[in-house]
Amino acid sequence: MPVVLARIDDRLIHGQVTAGWSPRVRPTHIILANNDVAADAWQSRVYTSSVPPGIETSVLSIAAAAAALNRGDCGNGRAILLTASPGEMAELVRAGVPLARINLGGVHYKAGRIEMLPWVYVDAQDVVALRRLLDAGVEVNAQQVPGGREVDVDEALLARTEGRL
Amino acid sequence: MIRALVMTHGRIGQELVGVVEMILGPIEGLEFLSNHGLSGDDLQEKVGQWLKAGPAAGGDEAVPSMIFIDDFGGSCGVAAQLCCGQNRDVAIVSGVNLAMLLGFVTWREDSDLDGLVRQIVQKGRESIVRLGT
Repeated sequence: MPVVLARIDDRLIHGQVTAGWSPRVRPTHIILANNDVAADAWQSRVYTSSVPPGIETSVLSIAAAAAALNRGDCGNGRAILLTASPGEMAELVRAGVPLARINLGGVHYKAGRIEMLPWVYVDAQDVVALRRLLDAGVEVNAQQVPGGREVDVDEALLARTEGRL
Repeated sequence: MIRALVMTHGRIGQELVGVVEMILGPIEGLEFLSNHGLSGDDLQEKVGQWLKAGPAAGGDEAVPSMIFIDDFGGSCGVAAQLCCGQNRDVAIVSGVNLAMLLGFVTWREDSDLDGLVRQIVQKGRESIVRLGT
């Protein structure tokens, strides 16, 4: 199944994904790749029930998502792939999931993170993970919503951010 | 007395609560929370703090509470459910509008939580009407 949007967003499934991106990229599936959510039936149910009818949702661990995407056994639809952090997306790429372009959609402030962009806060580990994505030849594009401000995440931005950490 | 939290995107909740108080006067136990700038985890934590800050904080008695959400399927609804979606003393209702909040304040002293929710959902639906010719 082709991944039509691979997005890093710590809110996972929410309005920007279901109301913002979905009409634009017309997914048939949302693959939520997150170990904590996949291990918890209630969390899985809450996220799954937040998706509009007509879009199927799979909540998978990072390893299971990588395996499913690599096997190509998710059918012939169009998938939005979501992770909460750059590290988890880098893990999927390291596991061989073929992703050419990543949407860095939103990572909120918490202690230890600094602002890289107004909608992206990162710590040292996040910068390392984003660099791993760039080194793997993946294009990383920061954009919250369709038509919103778009920033190409490159080594210069990562280095500038790292210098402030 | 049943408490409520109006949990929304941007300043919708703040403005709705402000307008309710403009119409009915100062209201106890009606608060707002914006998701602005908050991660899902932080939003859940804020809801948890609001629940714990109820009048019976520290006591064993549960305070029936309502959480009004603006948009089904958004981060507010997810955070509210992850925080207290399995708590029978908390009712989460989406699609908040002014009529629902006015109904909440008017009826909350005469109803139990389930009865109040039924009244409010009906009122909210009835308030959506095409006007004019």
